[in-house]
Amino acid sequence: MNTKAKAKTGSQIKVITGNAAAAIGAKLARPDVVAAYPITPQTEIIEQISKFHANGEMDCELITVEGENSAMNAVMAASLAGGRVFTASSSWGLVFMYDAILATAGARAPVVMVNVNRETPGIIAVSCGQQDMISTRDAGWIFLIAETCQEVLDIVVQAYRLAEDYDIQVPVMVHYDGFYLSYLSEVVDVPLQEDVDKFLSVLKDQPERTKLVPGGRLGCGTHGILGGYLELRHKHMSAMERSKAKFEEIDKEFEAIFGRSHGGQIEKYRMDDADVVLVGSGSMCGTIKAVIDEKRDSGVKVGLLKIRMYRPFPSEVMVEVLKGKKAIGVVDRSLCFGFKGGPMYTELKAFETQLGGSKMISFIDGIANTDITQANVEQMIDTTCDLAAGKDVREVTWVSYPEANEPDSEKPDSEKRGGL
Amino acid sequence: MTEKKQGKLTKVLDYLKHEDPFSKGVAFCPGCGLELLLRFIPQVLGNDIVITGTPSCSAPVLLGQNNQSWHTLSYFGTLMTGAAANATGLARYYRKAGIKNTVVCFNGDGTAADIGFGNLSGAAERNEPFIYICYDNEGYMNTGIQKSGTTPYGASTTTTPLGSASKGKNLRRMNLALKMAMHKIPYAATATLSDMGDLAKKLLKAKEAKERGFAFLHVFAPCTTGWGYAPENTIEVCRRAVKTNYFPLWEAVNGKIRMTKTVKKPKPVSTYTKLIKKFAHLNEADLQILQDDIDYEYCMLGGLSALEGECQLPVSSED
Amino acid sequence: MSSNKFLKHEGPWSDANDPLMCSDTGSWRTKRPVVDKEKCIFCGFCALYCPIQVMEMVETSHFLPDLGFCKGCGICAKECPKDAISMKPEGDFQK
Repeated sequence: MNTKAKAKTGSQIKVITGNAAAAIGAKLARPDVVAAYPITPQTEIIEQISKFHANGEMDCELITVEGENSAMNAVMAASLAGGRVFTASSSWGLVFMYDAILATAGARAPVVMVNVNRETPGIIAVSCGQQDMISTRDAGWIFLIAETCQEVLDIVVQAYRLAEDYDIQVPVMVHYDGFYLSYLSEVVDVPLQEDVDKFLSVLKDQPERTKLVPGGRLGCGTHGILGGYLELRHKHMSAMERSKAKFEEIDKEFEAIFGRSHGGQIEKYRMDDADVVLVGSGSMCGTIKAVIDEKRDSGVKVGLLKIRMYRPFPSEVMVEVLKGKKAIGVVDRSLCFGFKGGPMYTELKAFETQLGGSKMISFIDGIANTDITQANVEQMIDTTCDLAAGKDVREVTWVSYPEANEPDSEKPDSEKRGGL
Repeated sequence: MTEKKQGKLTKVLDYLKHEDPFSKGVAFCPGCGLELLLRFIPQVLGNDIVITGTPSCSAPVLLGQNNQSWHTLSYFGTLMTGAAANATGLARYYRKAGIKNTVVCFNGDGTAADIGFGNLSGAAERNEPFIYICYDNEGYMNTGIQKSGTTPYGASTTTTPLGSASKGKNLRRMNLALKMAMHKIPYAATATLSDMGDLAKKLLKAKEAKERGFAFLHVFAPCTTGWGYAPENTIEVCRRAVKTNYFPLWEAVNGKIRMTKTVKKPKPVSTYTKLIKKFAHLNEADLQILQDDIDYEYCMLGGLSALEGECQLPVSSED
Repeated sequence: MSSNKFLKHEGPWSDANDPLMCSDTGSWRTKRPVVDKEKCIFCGFCALYCPIQVMEMVETSHFLPDLGFCKGCGICAKECPKDAISMKPEGDFQK
């Protein structure tokens, strides 16, 4: 239950799924062009939008494309022509549009899309996992992650404010867990259209971004040559850095109108006096918060750092709040091929020397719909407390696959048979 | 001294109502069919077209370098895999915003027939409001003359080269234009550079048809470098392609096919192939296979156009 | 602040309101078209078929190529119905 949902006078409280929340968030932003292609567990989003469109509730061009690659290409072009756009995908669909995802970021088209996290790539699976997000993290997009259905709706609306900001102009992808959030119904405070219009109207007062217009004599997609290429890349990198502070600003703007804040780049839960911290993202944080409350009742000083903005990686604020903590357990819902620990763990580890001696370990869990249960979270907290107490602890724990934690688990099959 | 015989300026030049928006000095091979086509299109359709281009022989000229451009058209340079989807996004947004436009999605046969066919077919099925022009030089020329889906039987390319175990491409080409006509779009047509008046008319028909939905033009544009013929023969190669029924000229309105030029006594395909080095290795038996393929396609076309009166696509009030 | 040394916009946009690029394609030639203006009937096919569109009208008398850009492909000579154009080696015109 999302205790943050506060009824603002006149807004509607509904019990809706994460997918419905995403669809409503997109609808409230009034996109000009929407590209729709289904894939589990996102399908309900585009079905919902199609219904809105069929009932005249959404005045947009709805393109029922023949594949995800076309979905991204269509919205990218519409965005560069000056339009506000939306699309959604997941997993295999996301990677099918990979070339277009890269092109969109390179062209600095302010596209907003939703990705419902699902396992991919490599093994056929129709289950939750953040591997699809990890597979596309270097595309140059801003990545935001939602924990609750309320946050899904709110982040989608905020994503437009961020992507289309004149000082940013970087596409934004909103992630949330498939199956756990996509199909889960929660209480959601659905904002009024006029309030969303007001929130986004700030963009109208800004200078107009470059657009592709007939007879305009401008061309998008010029070759980047040497210094020009570097200049474009540098502008892009700089815009991504700026989006960190911008997202904090936007959170405040949002709170002023809608009366709620989810935090900016991160959310801190009972962290100020914590000795031990779990770092996580997405729906697992709801479970983690519940277990933290129980642990706190028995005197364990544990807190949660919830990553909301994953790209750009919010290293500065994370270092600031983690400095001096005794032990940190990073929970990854994905794998980082070629590294032992999970991806977020590996990324945070790069800043370990700035933490003033905090120790870090990696937990891998929630892969392919293996639930991150309260018992699992307790185990993670206990292990991290052991680390804080100076005990000998595994660097990487596969929480739901204990076989991985056995000694010699990495030995090859041939060795068990007596060698090659 | 005899009086100089005064002729009349060809009426085809009347179609060139607009400026040529391209710089005079651009990097196309001497005699390039693509260059002729690319300069022709905006002179007929206007300089306010929005043209999309992908990696291809047209890319080094259609797309700029850093801030600078080779032409004054609004363009969108993107990938082969999504060219038609890009054009869809542009055309749909302009429609939503009430911006008058002619989006021209300009691609080679590599994009149209192969890597970008999926989204071309999707855009046609959805009847998207833009013009798709495929310039067919029968291969991936920009990367160095590799075979494509429209490369004809027997042609030598760098991925179907001649060798002790190979006589060039041993597969028949696919007929892209006919496939597109079967999408029941408002307009599909073939055209080439030896019949520029016909090409101009078809460009204008495509522009008009775009108001009702998808328009597709398949333009036969030979490649002197890739095919191996003297640059001066570019137009003659087109002419012979038409005269041998190697590349018949037809159009389809709402899927109804009619020939726009009927060749009464088509010459054998060897009249065409003997001009071009990529066919030079073919013997009589090989040429017969190519001839049979041409005849089969023409027979299909002939049959479909003969049904003109019989097969009617009901025209809805929105057409 | 971001530099605009190479490009004027945030993203990869080129601007044709600025001077266009232009290559010296006239220097590619190994032969050039020579027009016999007496034979020329001013039909305009050379102008129509020239891929670079460099055949320019001289009043209503005949056409002449802009040699700054003519690549010497020979299409004009080949297509002229009156054989009024012949391709001569570039070397003949070197000083």
